[in-house]
Amino acid sequence: MNTKTLSYIVRRFFFYLLAGFMAISLNFFIPRLMPGDPASIMFAQFRGKMKIEQLQALKQTFGFPEAEPFVDLNGNLKWDSNEQFTDWNNNKKYDSKPSSLENYVSYIKSLFRGDLGISISHFPQKVTEVISTGLYWTLFLAGISLVISFILGTVIGIYLAWYRDQKLDSILLPSLSFLGAFPYFWIAMFLLYYFGFKLDVFPIRHAYDQALMPSFSFEFITSVLYHSILPAFTMIFVSLGGWMLSMRNNMISTLGSEYINYAKAIGYNKKILMFNYAARNALLPNITGFGMALGFILSGALMTEMIFSYPGQGYLLLQAVRAQDFPLLQGIFLTITFSVLVSNFIVDIIILILDPRVRK
Amino acid sequence: MNKSKVNIYVLFLVLLFSCNKKEYFVEPGTMTIYREMTQSWVRNFNPLAPGANARWPTSSGIYEPLFIYNSMQNENLPWLGVSYEWKKENRILDVSTRNDVFWSDGKPFSAYDVEFTFNLKKIFPALDGYGNWQYLESVQAIDSTKVRFSFSRIYVPGFDAISSQPIVPKHIWEKIPNPIEFTNPNPVGTGPFTEIITFKNQIWELGKNHNYWQKDLPKIDKLRFPAFLSNEQVTIALINGELDWSGNFTPAIDRIYVGKDPENHHYWFPQTGTSIFLYLNTTIKPFDNVEFRKAISMAIDRDLIVKVAMYNYTSQAHQTGLSGVFENFRLSDDKINENWINYNPKKSLEIFKNLGFEKNSDGYWIDQNDQVVEVEIGIVSGWSDWIRAGKIISTNLKKVGIKSRVKPQDFGAWFNNLQTGNFSSAIGWTEKGATPYPMYEALMASKNVKSIGEISGINWHRFGLKEIDELVLKFEKTSKKETKMEILYQMQELFIKYAPAIPIFADPSWGIYNTKRFKNFPNEKNPYAQISPNAGIENLLIFTNVESK
Repeated sequence: MNTKTLSYIVRRFFFYLLAGFMAISLNFFIPRLMPGDPASIMFAQFRGKMKIEQLQALKQTFGFPEAEPFVDLNGNLKWDSNEQFTDWNNNKKYDSKPSSLENYVSYIKSLFRGDLGISISHFPQKVTEVISTGLYWTLFLAGISLVISFILGTVIGIYLAWYRDQKLDSILLPSLSFLGAFPYFWIAMFLLYYFGFKLDVFPIRHAYDQALMPSFSFEFITSVLYHSILPAFTMIFVSLGGWMLSMRNNMISTLGSEYINYAKAIGYNKKILMFNYAARNALLPNITGFGMALGFILSGALMTEMIFSYPGQGYLLLQAVRAQDFPLLQGIFLTITFSVLVSNFIVDIIILILDPRVRK
Repeated sequence: MNKSKVNIYVLFLVLLFSCNKKEYFVEPGTMTIYREMTQSWVRNFNPLAPGANARWPTSSGIYEPLFIYNSMQNENLPWLGVSYEWKKENRILDVSTRNDVFWSDGKPFSAYDVEFTFNLKKIFPALDGYGNWQYLESVQAIDSTKVRFSFSRIYVPGFDAISSQPIVPKHIWEKIPNPIEFTNPNPVGTGPFTEIITFKNQIWELGKNHNYWQKDLPKIDKLRFPAFLSNEQVTIALINGELDWSGNFTPAIDRIYVGKDPENHHYWFPQTGTSIFLYLNTTIKPFDNVEFRKAISMAIDRDLIVKVAMYNYTSQAHQTGLSGVFENFRLSDDKINENWINYNPKKSLEIFKNLGFEKNSDGYWIDQNDQVVEVEIGIVSGWSDWIRAGKIISTNLKKVGIKSRVKPQDFGAWFNNLQTGNFSSAIGWTEKGATPYPMYEALMASKNVKSIGEISGINWHRFGLKEIDELVLKFEKTSKKETKMEILYQMQELFIKYAPAIPIFADPSWGIYNTKRFKNFPNEKNPYAQISPNAGIENLLIFTNVESK
């Protein structure tokens, strides 16, 4: 590796570091600009069964006080708005304004300790605990489907471009683009109804058999694979067309270049030419797209997860937004942000390997 | 790879998976229940924790209260408490506790546990969900079977909250430094189900308490809770017969569910006592006008709402707002001398004219201040039955010349606007309790009225009445049944006179059950308890009555 390559990598690294820091900061401020406050929403879950006094005590607990009357233990009405409020995570006093600088600093500090605070909608569970119930499953399901659909779509795209304007091309091209335009929850529902309910050949919900304990046994792994078939299929089904189409287009423009014509003219081996020379160059934009998609995996496949009752992050995110669960929202966004940044960094390195021009 | 090789692989995979498929097999005596919609289960069994975050049935299966109010029978059943007595002009409440009760770890239960539970709520106000310490002065155990509640002010309705408090064991909770954050992963309780058999993100199981104080009960071995994430999934599980008990809204239930197996598939949607209301913000003109509110009420076609929006699962609201179990609290019909609940758009139009409204070029009424009268109905988006009801109401109102539309909002924003009074109109619930008193107090007592921008937990429409305040004070001080009834009648008369909120339909509770594996669920013929799994501590009655076949 020469110094230019190294400095490229270091530059990219610092760029992503800065982007990461900005994301963390936005992550702190944006949720706090939303109307309403989480304690009131938590209060709402009771449909009026909780008293105002307890609401006040809760707001104190979460550090969301307002200049409102507060009934103390002796039943006296208090109007103390400058009171300080305990942050249960750090055993530290918070300033009474939820978006103050002190809160921001304390937020950054606890981030470095891997402490994302306590979820409000799942109180008193830690955010890290709540996220970990679904994170790996989302990573597994969405990751596998993305990889399969990327590889499949790209390979089909290469072949279609090579044999363009032939029978296969004229059938696959419109039909795959048609499928790509399908609403995927509709396909998910159809598969669920037909294969899960009517024919009863595939499980209709969950990521593994209810009777099994998660372990690295043969039985468990086959159960996980079996359960992932329908949900993964829906996701591959609709995204396949996109990969195929972009690969086909890139490939066609590459195939038009002079070096390919020359190689063809001297009778170069067709397979080597197709994959090692043409596809390698045509792949670059698709790899970038793959990096983006890889990063967004963690936002979860909400509809697929809901329809198949699959554990994951999608619904958790929705729940967190609805409940204005700031700590959980921040936690989820953080995992998404970092997965986007990390995957883009990886893609940068892959491109470095594939494309010698970057190295110069 | 040639074709036969592929075939062999496929065959192998199919064989592999087919021996793997055993989802629907459950051991006999295991009851599968749907109650909470979730993606993954989170382990929390803290019955005191703020927020509705403890797994169901923590407060109605693992832990138990002193008394259970049975809303179907309208009576208090002795549970961990055996009897109670009011003393010193209702300033002191003595409760005798049962002495043959054991915690699931084998230690005996006593009045000291009751004393401890209430005092824990005093130290940590965030745990005091029922607000007991607003009127309590002290809670003390006199001996191991008697506990004394002393009141700082006379407040007889406090009994309902005190009696339904889940009691936690002192010998365990006194060692917990911060009970607000405690998730209580391995609960020790007095209830019929206390043993966590498995806890995974997709499913958890709760086994019976072998030490349960009611001998030979429960007659169910364990409860099983798979995670469901959508209504479609629940409906499929119901149709497949996987679920034994559930409390979800199912459209066209007779065809979809009962029709599949009429012998075993049943439902019961009893009315819970109160109604679903249309709230008009009385700080806005002309919503402050009684006649106007009555005219709006008369313009609403409740028959259509019940049929179309609610699939006939409930009935039209009564003019008093009372339904189902509260019917016997209602004023007799001959004492009600006006009617603003029946569909009567002609009368509405007459009232608008009498109020001095005029019609503009669009055909909408304009009030004396030249403002177009507009009713904007705020409803939580996704609450489909309410949205449908709201759409019918706004069509009804347009017919009588009132500009109106439905404004769907996200729950958080909707509820915040309601509490702070920043809304024009909304559909909403009201307070519930052992009597209609909490409802009328919430809807009409001036102590609940806050100015716009300030949070009012229950009086969203900002309506207060002096006459009600006097009645509330009287009601809080009496433990006599006749006096209470007299006060409730007077409250109803005032409600009808002022129409502070407009009742739309009776508030039902959803209960769906399968009798293939279990018997003795409550129903119309045997209404020993409310059937909905959302009915709170009353669920203990179901857990101790239902038997496996």
